[in-house]
Amino acid sequence: MGAVSLFIPCTVDFMMPEVGEAVVRLLRRLGVEPVYHEEQTCCGQPAMNAGYPAEARKAAKHFIETFGDDEVVVSPSGSCTAMVKYHYPELLRDEPSWHGRAEELSNRIYELSQYLVDVLGVEDVGASFDGTVTYHESCHILRRLGVSRQPKVLIKKVKGTTFIPMDQADACCGFGGEFSFRYAFISEEMVREKVDHYLKSGADLLIISEPGCLLNISGYLSRNNPDKKALHLAEFLAGVQEGGVK
Amino acid sequence: MKVNTRNFVQTAEREMQNQYARAFLALMPPVIAALRVQVMGSFPDPEAAQELGRAIRAEAVARMPDLLEEFERNAVAAGARVLWARDASEANELVLSIARERNVTEVTKGKSMISEETGLNEAFKNNGIEPFETDLGEFIAQQLERPPFHIVGPAINVPVEEICDLFMKKAGMEKATTDPVELGYAARLFLRDKFRRVRMGITGVNVAVAETGAIVNVENEGNIRFNKSSPLTQVSLMSIEKVVPTMNDALHLVRLLCRNCTGQGISAYVSIDRGPKMKEEFDGPEELFIIIVDNGRSRIYEDVKMRQVLRCIRCGACLNLCPIYSKIGGYPYGWAYSGPMGQVLNPALLGVDDTSDLFNACTLCGTCREICPAGVDHPELFLYYRELEAEGKKMSSGRWEARFFKLWGTAAAHTGLWRFFYRLVRPVVARYGKEGKIKAMPGPFEGWFKTRDLPVPARRTFRDRWRKSMSEKNLSRGGME
Repeated sequence: MGAVSLFIPCTVDFMMPEVGEAVVRLLRRLGVEPVYHEEQTCCGQPAMNAGYPAEARKAAKHFIETFGDDEVVVSPSGSCTAMVKYHYPELLRDEPSWHGRAEELSNRIYELSQYLVDVLGVEDVGASFDGTVTYHESCHILRRLGVSRQPKVLIKKVKGTTFIPMDQADACCGFGGEFSFRYAFISEEMVREKVDHYLKSGADLLIISEPGCLLNISGYLSRNNPDKKALHLAEFLAGVQEGGVK
Repeated sequence: MKVNTRNFVQTAEREMQNQYARAFLALMPPVIAALRVQVMGSFPDPEAAQELGRAIRAEAVARMPDLLEEFERNAVAAGARVLWARDASEANELVLSIARERNVTEVTKGKSMISEETGLNEAFKNNGIEPFETDLGEFIAQQLERPPFHIVGPAINVPVEEICDLFMKKAGMEKATTDPVELGYAARLFLRDKFRRVRMGITGVNVAVAETGAIVNVENEGNIRFNKSSPLTQVSLMSIEKVVPTMNDALHLVRLLCRNCTGQGISAYVSIDRGPKMKEEFDGPEELFIIIVDNGRSRIYEDVKMRQVLRCIRCGACLNLCPIYSKIGGYPYGWAYSGPMGQVLNPALLGVDDTSDLFNACTLCGTCREICPAGVDHPELFLYYRELEAEGKKMSSGRWEARFFKLWGTAAAHTGLWRFFYRLVRPVVARYGKEGKIKAMPGPFEGWFKTRDLPVPARRTFRDRWRKSMSEKNLSRGGME
């Protein structure tokens, strides 16, 4: 098995480092020793989404310098993965040497569940959890990467777990980066609806594969329904065996 | 039409308090979306049918200049008079002069979005001509003087009691009723009378066919067909992007339009017309004017990144599934087009300076792109509009933002600086935290905390923890605890 290089998004690095740790624990359990380049910074999404592609391009070049030689790059975020996969080649279109590297890299970066199921061929990670679980289909993971079966199959294979689908699982949770505070009055309605659907599903736990959605939904739960939890898929798959979930 | 795009936030906040509209918005989009899925199933391969639509629109827009000339030649050969209007006022002036030459004081109108764009109704009124919208929803919206709430159902949010009052005041209805059949009948009586008397009818165009010079209209009420057959003079307005190469292309777009728009396999009426009434025919207008309106579109066409906006076929599928439209409804978009459709069209047509909220109030969830039968990549356009807006900020009031991102870009390219900034910013943010949570914070992030908490930024980041585990050579299973 070749080396797997981790891209840990800023949100995880700064706000939820335990998610990154869970990724490491999970991969090690599956016999994969991850590499972490300490030079990594950000994929460039904040600048890209704010209308500053020239600044995003700087982040992109740094990313390519950092990860360009890796065989496989894995990230516990679909939106960061999509940024590298779809926006880097476009951003570097006019710089042929960079463009080629961006295109190459775009074929070697995977969202975590996509990597586990499609590349590693693992469905049962050997975890167990006694309870019911539902899953939020994050926009970039579902609609950009076309990943939906993979996280659910990983959840379903966890021993003792019953998967319960929730209503409108594919509806946006209202995060959207800057949107979440600039248009908070709309965003909070969206997250409220999302949480309503989670509560109505009756599941014990909500699993999310996208750090942005996780910040948003856990933030809402923490304030309004502190007894209900949302976890990153990596935490669920890595932590349950050690009884760390409940 | 009055442009009200600058009041997006105000209007949205107001509309979110409108319980009637909210209840309606919670109900309608899922129903239409489900119908759509069901009826798309009548294609042997629904996704292939969507792809074909996208290909047709991509070709049509790429070849637009040639196709328009071909359309003109064939329409003229069929006896139509084709006129070109550079902008809204030219388009209105052309229609007005046709009306004046014929001493017309009243006109009937079928739903036409381009006429909403040019403000034709206002131009009529300012020139002593009374326009009657004959699409029921448009009729109501016109009488209430409101912009369209939804492209397909412009007044679909108006409570029935309000419609009753309106019809009693303005449509000659005598007895108050909330029965939809009776209300429909009252509107019918009122409008039939207009159709009988009025000599000039205005319509829009859904698709124009280059190879034949035909125009195609799709509708459910029969009022457009009336407008195309009853008056002596028919004036059909189309924007330049309506043209497609062949009749086959047009028919496939009609199939997609109906399915994506209202979840119908086919609308109640589809009329395909080529030229005015011919000698041996006994039905149809004596004369047909087709006015081809640019109104900023050739400028959009010149911009290769923006050009794809012109692919839109106005089906409204994106509205029905947009998670934001379904909270705020159609009014906040402030102009002729609402929902994701309006978010791509209004900034392109009106400029990004006046429409900032339209392309910023979006999470980039991509539902619109996924469902679009015309191949519009809405999120990509929003990013482009944001870029154009940011270009302006570098020189104006928003300079701090441009400076911030410049600094950000430098930091993102230099690990040391990146980490340095984090160590600088963390304590500033963390002092608002208590027991690992931030519950309130002044400044630009304030809105987040009204209903949400945030974890306190980590004292030890992931990288710090990784380093520690590496230095302790704690690489055994479950090492990073």
